[in-house]
Amino acid sequence: MNSATWQQLFGWRTAFDHPVTVGAVTGILAALAIAPLAIHALSRFNVISPKLHEELWLRWKSWLWLTAVMVGPILLGAAWVMIAVAVLSWFCFQEFARATGLFREFPIIAVVMVGIFALLIANVDHCDRMYFSLAALTSGVIAVVTLPENRPQGYLQRVALGIVGFLLFGYSIGYLGLMANDSRYRPLLILVLLSVELNDIFAFCVGKFFGSRRLLSNISPGKTVVGSVGALVLTTGLVIWMGKSIFAGTAMENYFSLLKLGLLISLLGQLGDLILSAIKRDIGVKDLGVCIAGHGGWLDRFDSLVLVPPAVYHFLSYELGPLGQDQAARIFTGG
Amino acid sequence: MNDWRYDPAHDLGLQTNQRHRSTLRESDLTSSVLRLGWLMTVRTILKCWNRLEIHGLENLPAQPPFVIVANHSSHLDTVVLASALSLRWRDHVSPLAAGDYFFATPPLAGFSAVILNALPIWRDRRHGQRHELGDLRERLMNQSAIYIVFPEGSRSRDGQLHEFRPGFATLVAGTAIPVLPCHLSGSFAAMPPDANAVRPRKIILQIGTPLTFETVANRAEGWRQVAAVIRDKIVALSACELPSRKFHPRHWGEKLLLIARFSRLLLRRRLRSLAGFGGTFRSQGCCWKFELGGRPLSQPMSGKVLSINTSSASADKVTVK
Repeated sequence: MNSATWQQLFGWRTAFDHPVTVGAVTGILAALAIAPLAIHALSRFNVISPKLHEELWLRWKSWLWLTAVMVGPILLGAAWVMIAVAVLSWFCFQEFARATGLFREFPIIAVVMVGIFALLIANVDHCDRMYFSLAALTSGVIAVVTLPENRPQGYLQRVALGIVGFLLFGYSIGYLGLMANDSRYRPLLILVLLSVELNDIFAFCVGKFFGSRRLLSNISPGKTVVGSVGALVLTTGLVIWMGKSIFAGTAMENYFSLLKLGLLISLLGQLGDLILSAIKRDIGVKDLGVCIAGHGGWLDRFDSLVLVPPAVYHFLSYELGPLGQDQAARIFTGG
Repeated sequence: MNDWRYDPAHDLGLQTNQRHRSTLRESDLTSSVLRLGWLMTVRTILKCWNRLEIHGLENLPAQPPFVIVANHSSHLDTVVLASALSLRWRDHVSPLAAGDYFFATPPLAGFSAVILNALPIWRDRRHGQRHELGDLRERLMNQSAIYIVFPEGSRSRDGQLHEFRPGFATLVAGTAIPVLPCHLSGSFAAMPPDANAVRPRKIILQIGTPLTFETVANRAEGWRQVAAVIRDKIVALSACELPSRKFHPRHWGEKLLLIARFSRLLLRRRLRSLAGFGGTFRSQGCCWKFELGGRPLSQPMSGKVLSINTSSASADKVTVK
């Protein structure tokens, strides 16, 4: 491994080299600092109820460590991002498995665990072909692994749940790790994470103040058409604003490409949210977990992230050429 | 074509610590693998260090659910009983443990839940918990569970069998679930309640024939009746003479066991008397005579051990005056 590759994987000294990273981290820290004052002020002037005040406090406290967990690995180096993404994938899949009852199928869980680990290896090794092949290979193994049990009852259900769980929460979220092989991974990942999380907030706020017509009342009664359109506009604007700096001097610099990227992130972010809402309604549970106070589980927090990373990766690869092509490939396996 | 039916985890919606303390807890792959490693390790240690002997394995039912009831005088009792069962049943076996002791702190609760798969019984009503025997009975019938129960309520401080608290009988009264009375001997000597380490004492587990209490009413008088019958069976097991077991080291595991015991004895003899390696080694019906080092047994070296170089563990380093 040469020094450039080492820097890419573990080089934390270059964390604040890009102005977008500096600006975004400063902005996030400022928002976290101002939030308790704002909550206190709103409560003081009776704008929010004591119950909402309590809930906002809980959410703010959760955001403190969530920010550290999300931004920390990005600043520390690409290898930490890949590990964090694999851990997030596993947590999300576990919540899905517990909610659907799939967790009782040990062979399928073991295959998905190995699949997520293999995705991590592919990311760290920067072996894109291995990464792409794992979708088909792992799905195939999931279909085969329970055959020796000689139990056809419920076969289709458990295999389908296993494959859907792996593709959505292992393979799809794992693309964030694949993006970490690009030299601009820090601002790029901050752009994706920030725009996806703010997309949720934009939809909620705009919907709360201006919305009345429900978007999909059976799947998610809280979402409105106006909120969705508002999020689309605001998130796209944010992506264009940040993207101008991140992609300066590349084919992505023009407004039309950034507009497409913004729409893609906002639309898929909202669709990911709706997918998880549909799953929750189908199973009949409100939250898929309880580990993040005020939010629910990992999937309740990161549901919008499920569809975005592969779309962004392939869109940028289409516009700019394969992401990470300027970095060493197959770092450990050679070739 | 049937509709898909989801069966979410019964403990969905509980925080980790709440989940560990809940009787609704279900095993996942990670805890199952950890438990497998734990049981295999404990089994090996019990076999080598405590020469664990199990009688009556043929009395075990072919399938769960069933309940194992035993005398209780040591922390070893739970692991001895759990390690006597098939590893396939590791996620079904749940010792019923005192909630105020085994689930007192989050790390201890985590160990008890994940590794031991224990379920809490709250002895102290001030704790804010009610007895959950009804939930446990339901779990036993619906989830093919195997419970390990110590009806004395706590470890015996003198090694003797004490009176049974009849409440546990609500688990089986009026059901066809088999109850296996078991007797443990040697565990008190190996690890009494005031000990922190396990001594190398022989432990014998006797598994009695299964009993069922289908016709017994699930009421206080029925529970007392069940408790009395099971206690009598355990007393009878403790009194019965065990058949002597021959030890024929055929398999590599047994040979390793023999070498381990032989080495332990050798070291002990060497330290006790520096006359030379020699003596007889008895183990489970076999007698092994050995003499090494050339020093005759009849001429022991007299003296007093002043110091031992433990770093080399070599008998040559022992200084004698």
